[in-house]
Amino acid sequence: MAYSDKVVDHYENPRNVGTLDKSSAEVGTGLVGAPECGDVMRLQIKVNPETQVIEDAKFKTFGCGSAIASSSLATEWVKGKTVAEALSISNTEIVKELALPPVKIHCSVLAEDAIRAAIGDWKKKNNVAEAEPALAGASA
Amino acid sequence: MTYFEVFGLPPKLQLDTAALEKSFYRLSREFHPDRFASKPAEEQAAATEKSSLLNDAYRTLRDPIRRTEYLLETEGVELEEQSVKATERARAAGEQKKQIVPPDLLEEAFELNMQLEELKMAKAGGDDDPQLRKDLEAAKANFTGLLHASQKQLEAEWTSWDAAVDTGDNGAKDAAKDEMVALLNRRSYLRNLVRDVHAALE
Ligand code: FES
Repeated sequence: MAYSDKVVDHYENPRNVGTLDKSSAEVGTGLVGAPECGDVMRLQIKVNPETQVIEDAKFKTFGCGSAIASSSLATEWVKGKTVAEALSISNTEIVKELALPPVKIHCSVLAEDAIRAAIGDWKKKNNVAEAEPALAGASA
Repeated sequence: MTYFEVFGLPPKLQLDTAALEKSFYRLSREFHPDRFASKPAEEQAAATEKSSLLNDAYRTLRDPIRRTEYLLETEGVELEEQSVKATERARAAGEQKKQIVPPDLLEEAFELNMQLEELKMAKAGGDDDPQLRKDLEAAKANFTGLLHASQKQLEAEWTSWDAAVDTGDNGAKDAAKDEMVALLNRRSYLRNLVRDVHAALE
């Protein structure tokens, strides 16, 4: 199958592969899976408690090239955003950016789920309500 | 025409595969292209179409997993579409999506993949870690067991589904459907794990 140049780039030089300290209060961990194919993805964020800005993000994905590229891109995108802003990232933006074909949409969905799960975990750790109204810039 | 109808069967999941095979051969002969060689073109075309439908139907129904997936499809269950919709709902609500698979299975899947990667790296570096290999052998046995167990559970749901079809109990049908979807999802992880661990231990 022909992957787009951007997918190949992220696949060959994935950004931000790695692990953050799961037990830290500033770190949110999202572990998600795509039942369509059985692939798994872990995405972690480190949030500044004062500003709620995501200062670091790491991922580890066991899956296809599109899933690796989607999660690599997702870590790039969330860095520097506030938690509220990051929540508005949607899989369709990832699909567009990476020019994913329809059969690979679920791979981008996985990345969006991972961002959301990481933020959810961080919120739970820090007693922020799940559906807390967005602070800024979230376009739902 | 559904694959079940091709064989004159009700949309049920417990199936006598030996009887299915027999019907398949009987119907194959009926629609065999050779028997239509001297017939008008439309009749030939119709027979070819029938025999290809018959082949698809047979291949799908004789396989327990594909049969289940097919039935769910005819019931309007779209595994992938459901997943995308659930993500969209979560985004609209500003929440995280409920994972269809139990978190501990995801956790295990992730851990196992990490170990597999380690083994691959050790192998590439020319040394083999016997303890790691042992752990992976154990993991393989464990996941293979779980995979078989999930098949048994699936078969139990077939019984519930078939009974509900007989009684026309829609509530029971939906319950069985949901269970089957959950089991198939779980299975796809287990299947991958078994496959990957197997490949790594080769
Ligand atoms: S094929 Fe599974 S995530 Fe891409």
